[in-house]
Amino acid sequence: MFDVTTVGSWPRSPELLKALRARQKGAMSREDFEAIADGEVRACVARQNEAGVDVVTDGEHRRDNFYSFITEKVDGTQLMSLAEMLDTVEDKSSFDEMLDTLDVPASAIKNPTCTARLERREPLAVGELKFVQELTDTPVKVTLPGPYLLTRSMWVNSFSNKVYGDKTDMGDDVVRILRDELIELRDAGAAIVQFDEPVLTEIVMSEDCDRRTFM
Amino acid sequence: MIEGIDGVRTAVHVCRGNWSRREDVLLTGDYEKLLPCFEAMNVDQLVLEYATPRAGDIDVVGRALSDRQIGLGVVNPRTDDPEPVEQIVTQVERALEYWKPEQILLNPDCGFGCFANRCVNEADAAGRKLDVMVAASRILRKRFA
Repeated sequence: MFDVTTVGSWPRSPELLKALRARQKGAMSREDFEAIADGEVRACVARQNEAGVDVVTDGEHRRDNFYSFITEKVDGTQLMSLAEMLDTVEDKSSFDEMLDTLDVPASAIKNPTCTARLERREPLAVGELKFVQELTDTPVKVTLPGPYLLTRSMWVNSFSNKVYGDKTDMGDDVVRILRDELIELRDAGAAIVQFDEPVLTEIVMSEDCDRRTFM
Repeated sequence: MIEGIDGVRTAVHVCRGNWSRREDVLLTGDYEKLLPCFEAMNVDQLVLEYATPRAGDIDVVGRALSDRQIGLGVVNPRTDDPEPVEQIVTQVERALEYWKPEQILLNPDCGFGCFANRCVNEADAAGRKLDVMVAASRILRKRFA
């Protein structure tokens, strides 16, 4: 009762951010990046255990952000900064204005844009889970982007409609990928699998459901 | 999506923005409009923000969804100072009007760094937030064991 846990992500160290930048520029191998991230996850899990947290997370150190990271794992996706997307979104000026109003930095936030048929190349988070399980006996929570968030963010008309008939059509593949992942996470012993759907609130609370949100 | 998959606890986390420390640009309002959506979701646990007044009243979700577990947001991931332990205990006691002790989890409102390049906090401050949640949980376990 009253178990303590986190929602997933942890602050990144300057060293990790430097490695992430190098990795995204292609100047660092995946192996070298993962080795640095391993150290960050170790420290993060140790701090949670020191506090006495009941269900730990890996701190999402291997992820650019909580949903864009799937571009490393899913074929048919491309990591794009919001600044890069600006040229392709349907209503550029209102998108730009929204980013400005909400204090969203267009260059710092990246999107997993769908540019080809989606296929899971490797598990999204099973590797993260197994690494934490090697470090601790404390139960582990794994976080994944929810199907609504992913479908909404991945669909960028000018790229995605060449591949899928419509957003719902692509959404079927998103759901299939997440379902397969959930089964594998269960089999690997995840205590909790949390799907993140932050954009839901924005949809129901804003007046225009079709307006492009930044997530 | 999760139909027929047993043997793992599933959760959905919904929040109103965690990209800026400026509370005025994040969304405000209770979960009333999301209730039909939550009710339709076949998940065990809802992980919701309740650490700021922006989240509205706990009664809204409590009345409708006391059959689920609640991951109660009790600390703000975007501030430096840890919340007072007594404040967290009081907040959880309000949730006990709707949920049983074993249905309640304590967590921050959101992650401490959802966007690597736009983390909302530093590791030291995040650690102190964990410490106060654990301290509150220990008091609650003694009180409601």
